[in-house]
Amino acid sequence: MSASTHHSVLKHHFDNLEQQHAAERLGMWMFLATEVLFFGGLFGGYTVYRMWYSEAFAVASSHLNQTIATINTLLLITSSLTMTLAIRSARFGDKGGLYRNLLLTAGLGTAFMVMKGFEYAEDFHEHYVPGVLFQRAHDSAAEAVAGLSRLEAEDFFKKNPQHPEWARELVLANHGKSLGDPGYVNADHVQLFLCFYYIMTGIHGIHIIVGIGCILWLVLETYRGMIPPANYSTVEVVSLYWHLVDAIWLFLMPLLYLAGAGLVH
Amino acid sequence: MSTLTERAPLASPPPPEPIPAEPNYLNNSFSIWSWLLTVDHKRIGILYLVSITVFFVVGGIAAGLVRLSLVVNDSSIVTEDTYNRLFTAHGVVMLFFFLIPAVPAVFGNFLIPMMIGAKDLAFPKLNLASWYVFMIGAIMAVWAVLAGGIDTGWTLYPPYSSRSSTSNVIPGVMGAFISGFSSIMTGLNIMVTIHKMRAPGMTWGRLPLFVWAMYATSLIQLLATPVVAITLFLLMVERAWGVGIFDPALGGDPLLFQHLFWFYSHPAVYIMIVPGMGVISEVLPCFARKNIFGYRAIAWSSMGIAVVGFLLWAHHMFVAGISFYSALLFSLLSMLVAVPSAIKVFNWTATLYRGSITFQAPMLFSLGFVVLFTIGGLTGLFLATTGTDIHLHDTYFVVAHFHFVMVGGMVLGYFAALHFWWPKMTGRLYSDWWSRIAATIIIVGFFFTFIPQFVMGYHGHPRRYPNYPAEFQIYHVMSTAGASILGIGYLIPAIYLTLSLFNGQKAGANPWAATGLEWSTPSPPSVHNFDTTPVVVCGPYEYAIGVDQMGRGLPEGPGEGGPLGIASHEGHPSPPGPMIKETEVVG
Amino acid sequence: MSGLLHLIPERASTLADMFEALFWYITITVSLAGLLVYGALFWFCVKYRRGKSSPSTPRILGSERLEITWTIIPLLIFLTFFGVGVWVFNYYAHPPEDAMEIFIIGKQWMWKAQYPDGQRVIIGGNPANMTEAERNSIGRLVVPIHRPVRLTMTSEDVIHDFGLPAFRAKMDVLPGRYTTMWFEANKLGEYHIFCDQYCGTWHSLMVGKVAVVEQGEFMDWLAGHKPLQGSDNAVDGSLAWEGRQLFLKLQCIKCHSDAANSGAPSLSGIYGTRVALDGGGAEIVDSAYIHESILKPRAKIVRNYKPVMPSYEGQVTPEDLNKLVAYIRSLKDGRPPTWTERFPIPEGAPTERPEPKSPEKK
Repeated sequence: MSASTHHSVLKHHFDNLEQQHAAERLGMWMFLATEVLFFGGLFGGYTVYRMWYSEAFAVASSHLNQTIATINTLLLITSSLTMTLAIRSARFGDKGGLYRNLLLTAGLGTAFMVMKGFEYAEDFHEHYVPGVLFQRAHDSAAEAVAGLSRLEAEDFFKKNPQHPEWARELVLANHGKSLGDPGYVNADHVQLFLCFYYIMTGIHGIHIIVGIGCILWLVLETYRGMIPPANYSTVEVVSLYWHLVDAIWLFLMPLLYLAGAGLVH
Repeated sequence: MSTLTERAPLASPPPPEPIPAEPNYLNNSFSIWSWLLTVDHKRIGILYLVSITVFFVVGGIAAGLVRLSLVVNDSSIVTEDTYNRLFTAHGVVMLFFFLIPAVPAVFGNFLIPMMIGAKDLAFPKLNLASWYVFMIGAIMAVWAVLAGGIDTGWTLYPPYSSRSSTSNVIPGVMGAFISGFSSIMTGLNIMVTIHKMRAPGMTWGRLPLFVWAMYATSLIQLLATPVVAITLFLLMVERAWGVGIFDPALGGDPLLFQHLFWFYSHPAVYIMIVPGMGVISEVLPCFARKNIFGYRAIAWSSMGIAVVGFLLWAHHMFVAGISFYSALLFSLLSMLVAVPSAIKVFNWTATLYRGSITFQAPMLFSLGFVVLFTIGGLTGLFLATTGTDIHLHDTYFVVAHFHFVMVGGMVLGYFAALHFWWPKMTGRLYSDWWSRIAATIIIVGFFFTFIPQFVMGYHGHPRRYPNYPAEFQIYHVMSTAGASILGIGYLIPAIYLTLSLFNGQKAGANPWAATGLEWSTPSPPSVHNFDTTPVVVCGPYEYAIGVDQMGRGLPEGPGEGGPLGIASHEGHPSPPGPMIKETEVVG
Repeated sequence: MSGLLHLIPERASTLADMFEALFWYITITVSLAGLLVYGALFWFCVKYRRGKSSPSTPRILGSERLEITWTIIPLLIFLTFFGVGVWVFNYYAHPPEDAMEIFIIGKQWMWKAQYPDGQRVIIGGNPANMTEAERNSIGRLVVPIHRPVRLTMTSEDVIHDFGLPAFRAKMDVLPGRYTTMWFEANKLGEYHIFCDQYCGTWHSLMVGKVAVVEQGEFMDWLAGHKPLQGSDNAVDGSLAWEGRQLFLKLQCIKCHSDAANSGAPSLSGIYGTRVALDGGGAEIVDSAYIHESILKPRAKIVRNYKPVMPSYEGQVTPEDLNKLVAYIRSLKDGRPPTWTERFPIPEGAPTERPEPKSPEKK
């Protein structure tokens, strides 16, 4: 295909396609830098509190759903693969392959969000959310075994599974202890962990949704014929964003979900 | 003094006056949609110009009321509550919705493509989006400060802002949060443009220093703003849902907020000042008819300020409860950043040596900038030094310091830019006489407003106090008197600049006989800036030889009587003397 | 309107003298530098203005030697500022071992000072905002001359700052941790105390006076100054004060706030009274009843209230219970607990206290 047939993809303020692509790529890299700093603030805050309240954070983290997190990690890594394959398809003019890989990527991203949805639903159902819900669940569990011995309390919880596991663990761990005793897990700090958990995974989820939107836009652009091989860099630019969102997850996941990995339940 | 002969480019004769662009970017369509949906960087610059002028007025009225209430030492003019909302409004509006966008979003947008020979910025639609994002955020925040107000100070420290205050914190913070993204978009756009869209021959070493300054500024905007975005977000979450991210009662740390906040807000002050410095670097050579002294030093200084500026934030926290050694580290680093600013001042001064100087308004504003910014910068040293900061922290000394750099520096830089590029942007000349009067009044008024505040601060007068000890009253009265003069000074350009749009003499392409590529286009420019892509053959500021960046001759500079109109430009002889000029190197 | 201020503000501490040395060193140095620059600017503008000088200008691009010179020299000068600054800051940041400690609490919008033997003084504030007892205890921070004094400070609510301009010292006062500052006054007299961190509506009324007196006068003042005892809500360092901290921390105030529909009985003035119970009978509200209500709230519920109070078993020590009882006891009729009295007990964050603290300990 000659350059003249691609004249429609060249934007009027650029001199040539090469300049346009170079500008788009550089722009995306710069945008990624801002995203790193955006999440960096969150990671920074999380790091500070994790250093100070390591025990409470470990306990809090151990009650998250590591299984879903692992599945999600595999989904995202695979989606990065399919995204890269999409670039390849675009470069070689393989329209069928391009559609396939783009839709696969979007599909995997959607699957990620669906799993996330299940995970959040589970957490909400268990009241593992900072604020009033957490407070109430914790208090009702504590009150239910008030005055019982440790063994009696354990027994009671076995017979009354309506109390969420995390609340049971927290109450049992703090049995007979009060603020300042070694091994006491401060519920406030658990809530602080949850704040960061929801904000970090929530904002990450928003980025995934935006990414899915961009990928679907790419599908539309492919349909309109705006992604001939000479313009494959549009796919590349979106893939850069997608890879960053994936990379952020790869840092997020161990920090949030594996902080309590050494703990035995 | 040694003499170095450098082969200067052979100058072709001055080009004839370009045919006025028909249509130009202003009159190619008058419909409201052509403005609201424009992707032309020049129109977007004008949109920003109108918006920030409105916000400047809002912030200025708040300042006026603050100064008015301070003439009495108690709360008889306004209540404490009102006073607290007024100074917050002043800070929030002036910082986020005037100073941060002022030069970058107005002049950066308008001029950068023209200065580097491009047709537009790299991402025109992103540019338009940035204005909308800015406006949405600004309207939200300005509504918050006007409808009831916010009483936390622009610094928003929790736990007061997240727990105690009963004012419109969330809408105000949300507004600032949203408009921050506009800042990021503009920064990104400008950086990519400078990297990828320079005309042939426009190497990095030939970029006008305004472009260097905008590049440095954009770097800061890009990297610092996301941090304040997440900080403001966390603050809103804390306030809305009662969680304890920064609240010690629930395990959080209020100092974490301060660190995150100042990590942005310190570089933010460089976002505000560095573009102004870029403007000065354009104006001084033009009105002294000489090359800038130390081009490389000034370019490197801009970049140095941008980078080192990220390492200083905790000098706002010396008495906040940080450790002794942290304080020492940040103090040391703060000393480093003062050096590039000093270098710039020296280079600007040296530019005037053996120049041929006229004092039209852009020059008066620029000289005012140099004088006032120097005081601002030097007083910053007192605050960067830990031993003195203990006493001066959170007093009027700090208030005076930052107003010297931000108003005496940046606002004057903004006015210099406005007066320098007004003929290019509007195609009209304004009254030379009135503009010089306005510049003088502004500089004098400013001086009298803020010098008394240094005295008060040194004597320990705290910031944000509507009730204060009686012994300070005379200084407050002096300061308010100065502020009245300053206010009048601001009104005068509003009048003659507006009048110039209707009655002003039509401006030629290059009324100041300046060297930049933007001056080679008609005034106002056409939609696509250049009919043919310019080819750059030399660096900026070749005033001594008298060539513009395309190697064409310049007319003789603006005389004592003001800028060159169209008539005085025509048929002007080439600069006298041989085209190949000996270059004298001092020292 | 009084006349102009003195050139140098009143100096009343050892730090102030050091500060002035540093301040004037910097002032004179930068003034000289500034005048040089201004002189050059002015001179060039006059000498090289258009018409006076030749219209042809030399093509001067720069001078590497000058650049290096005017980079290095300012940097060295700034480093001396830093160095002398460290000398002063170091003095300020390290209180001597034998300093007398005064405990300062900042709260919206007043200061409470407590001396080693329990004497308490309220400084500054908006009288309209205070209780009767507080108003009666408004006074000055009295300190002896020529003795180092260390202030250990914390806040009950938001960030404040205890500023003493005549001593050239200030330090932020934070909730949740202790900060310290110290001074050695060396001039008799009365000087300003300011709150130097914006803290809300009456920030500018959080001001008062520090009085530097002779040692003898100071001892007399201590002896004659009756500490505040057991009155409404204004006791500090006492059991009731600590109980108030707990009351807020454990969020008791969420329900026991005297707000309408709070779902919990009002506690103001309840101690020692008789309350009717759900299911018949009555109980005197004494220490034992309060203990039981906190640990086993469902045991004896006040009539017409629902059994919604959670148990605090495992969250309070017996000592805590005593503090809570002392606090509830101090709640006089018509004076319910209020939000602005937040607790200052540092928790978790590293502090400036002399003794090292580890996180997660009370």
